[in-house]
Amino acid sequence: MATFRAEVFQNEFLPDGGTDVHAIVTVSASGVGGAGTSGAGVAEIVMIDTSGSMTGPMLAAAKHAAQVALDHIPDGTWFAIVSGSHVAQRVFPYPNAPVAIVQMEPAARAEAKRAVARLSAQGGTAMSTWLRLADQIFATQPAVTQRHAILLTDGKNESEPRDQLTAAVTAVTGRFQCDARGVGERWQVDELREIATALLGTVELIANPADIAEDFRSLLAASLSRGVSDAQLRVWTPQGGQVLFVRQVAPTVEDLTARRTTVTPLVGAYPTGAWADESRDYHVAVRLPSKPLGAEQLAARVQVAVGGEVVAAGLVKAAWSDDASLTARISPEVAHYTGQAELASAIQEGLAAKAAGDEATATVKLGRAVQLAAETGNEEATSKLRRVVEIDDEEHGTVRLKRGASRLDEMALDTASTKTSRVRR
Amino acid sequence: MVSGTGTAVVCPACGEAAGDGARFCEACGAPLAAAHGTGPDGADSADPSSAVPGSTDPGPAPGDPASSGAASPDPAQSGAASPGGSPEGAPPAGTAVDGASPCPACGGDVADDGYCAQCGARAPVERDHREERAAPHVAGVSDVGVRRRRNEDALALGAVPGPGATGGQAAGSSPGEDVSVLVVCDGVSSAPDSDVASQAAATAARDTLVAGAAHVPADDAAAWSRLLVAAGHAADDAARAAVDDATARQDPPSCTFAAAVAGPGLLVAGWLGDSRVYWLPDAGTPEQLTEDDSVAAELMADGMSRAAAERSPQAHAITRWLGADAEDTTARTVATRPGGPGWVLACSDGLWNYASAPEAVADLLRDAVARVGDDPLALSRDLVAWANASGGHDNVTVALARVPGTAAAGGGPADPQDDPHDDAGTAPTVRRRPPGSLPGEPPTDTGPSAP
Repeated sequence: MATFRAEVFQNEFLPDGGTDVHAIVTVSASGVGGAGTSGAGVAEIVMIDTSGSMTGPMLAAAKHAAQVALDHIPDGTWFAIVSGSHVAQRVFPYPNAPVAIVQMEPAARAEAKRAVARLSAQGGTAMSTWLRLADQIFATQPAVTQRHAILLTDGKNESEPRDQLTAAVTAVTGRFQCDARGVGERWQVDELREIATALLGTVELIANPADIAEDFRSLLAASLSRGVSDAQLRVWTPQGGQVLFVRQVAPTVEDLTARRTTVTPLVGAYPTGAWADESRDYHVAVRLPSKPLGAEQLAARVQVAVGGEVVAAGLVKAAWSDDASLTARISPEVAHYTGQAELASAIQEGLAAKAAGDEATATVKLGRAVQLAAETGNEEATSKLRRVVEIDDEEHGTVRLKRGASRLDEMALDTASTKTSRVRR
Repeated sequence: MVSGTGTAVVCPACGEAAGDGARFCEACGAPLAAAHGTGPDGADSADPSSAVPGSTDPGPAPGDPASSGAASPDPAQSGAASPGGSPEGAPPAGTAVDGASPCPACGGDVADDGYCAQCGARAPVERDHREERAAPHVAGVSDVGVRRRRNEDALALGAVPGPGATGGQAAGSSPGEDVSVLVVCDGVSSAPDSDVASQAAATAARDTLVAGAAHVPADDAAAWSRLLVAAGHAADDAARAAVDDATARQDPPSCTFAAAVAGPGLLVAGWLGDSRVYWLPDAGTPEQLTEDDSVAAELMADGMSRAAAERSPQAHAITRWLGADAEDTTARTVATRPGGPGWVLACSDGLWNYASAPEAVADLLRDAVARVGDDPLALSRDLVAWANASGGHDNVTVALARVPGTAAAGGGPADPQDDPHDDAGTAPTVRRRPPGSLPGEPPTDTGPSAP
């Protein structure tokens, strides 16, 4: 039986006239069990880039990875394989099959491997078509509520305008989860990040095609460990209160603010996708009308809801005090994750400025990133930053852009920018 | 209410016209329902004192012979205000759920978590405002105050029928023969669970005093002093046992102790910390019987004026207390023989912060009597309300017992040999902790805090 727990970390004391309350809410799930525990069924779709650029060892590695993935999809799981170029095609079940998705069993696995082996690369890249086809395939089994996809590409989404991809992402958001993987150095981090963020997945760089298979294996293992197919974060604010933002801050930074749906006039829900036994941190910021000194009230109820039922709740409080020793303190959790969120944007903005040739801005932003990574103890970010900038003074964020930094190193830094280190407790 | 008449409702906070039947202003979110019922003040959810509804005192009315003379009233039954009762005139139509009282701030439902489901105001808890009456002439009130989030003060009262009142006459015992028992304990706010410790301590001390009173000769000051010391030890035991892991904690729950027993012609007080007992005669010089175990008291002993000492930064640092980390828990005691009628007042610093000198407290009480008469519960309420109106920075507890005085006894201290001030066994060395580690300091509520 899945158990959720919500723990609140905050300094509830506000100075006279204070209005903004910040809290970190740690949500932990335990006893979740594997995917399909709920009995609703699990579906997996693997989307393989078969555009012309994949020709050669890259396609061979991708085919091998897809076949490894088939070995790791357990019997009974609904699955399909999609190949994508400027158009998307269902590879298995075969395009002429009467059903779009089938349940895994040994014969299906063998036939699907044969289908994958016959894949060849040609054409351009239009990922919107891949996403829409995956959505159509999932939709043929409406009872299967836990839907997960893997998207693998090696290139830029060059065969269509960006807004077409954005429209497709918007259209399929909330219908399935998708992890996005870029192999090599010719793909665009921001494109895959847009897909993965909206579809509650992760984005990763796979530098060496030989590593795709292992990555697919771990992605499937993670997906299949998620026994809760969909959980919502709900935030209640009092009459007159206002949510400033709701942000997942660990394991990665994801801004959920704009993804609010209304439950009641005082309660908004934010999607969090499927859960395994894991814990995630959320930063909730609420603005309240100021109250007189000595007043205490609830600033937010932060709840976890599964299947429309609240399974855990934490209380965010506000108390106005004239004691500066109470009000001046910043919760270490809030400070840590505020820094981590700023770190993510400093890296992304710095790399974007560098790509645009604005070296001054890039130096300042990446310098700030170095400083924040050091302050918040994010060693992974520090080591990735080191490959892109020369660090003169970590504490003050004085850096020089590294001449001849490889594109792969920049992409690795970019894709990892949203990964946060947990606060030390 | 104007609902149903078609007349526009105007938000009391911003003046915006509100829809018929709306409970909150669309423009500014201010609650409308409470404003309709109680006037603009009703919209102020911030003031805990206003959030506590008028008390309902199920205790006996003054002079009600049928219910007087109870030796050991159950505090749970003796005059606790109904928690979160509906504010007068509030129109919480259809909002009460499962019998729960609606939010006093906005009339909304109070959720299971203790906060309003609409406006988030904390729903008052029973401990926020407690009233207790042990006899027509013995009563008290303990209140959370304005600035604190929890009431860590505790109150326990008793009235033991005097030896003259036996058998069927017990119910008719008069203040002149009764022994009144007042106990006030103030939980140290910086130590978690001190509210639990203070109530346990107060109740244990009261029970010890009430049980012992039957065996103590009415005019034996030394015996009464010993009983008060025993009550202090019983209170300490209770405070230590209040939480299971008290001894393992770095900051175990702790509290002050102030108790008074007032029998015919004799008044004895015992204390640890800075809760106080005053003797306020109708005629004559009012006295502060207790002498705070606090840094302020030490400064005064060194010659500083009361006003200056009580303003000093460490003023509220107490040097003795009850609880697992208390080394010396032997109450100091003092006895006096009232020469005439008057009031015994026991209180926490929530009251004396605003009126410290005995003359000031006497004036305060005199004014209160002029306002509300001489019922001790009404007077206690009045003094608590006055402290809250003065700022209410701390929890406020006031307990009063009426002493008719005896013509026989002269005024002044009891027999010198009975005065434990001179008794080495009951006047131990005052211990002062290093700065910063004093449980009573700083005099602010740190409350539960995020790690």
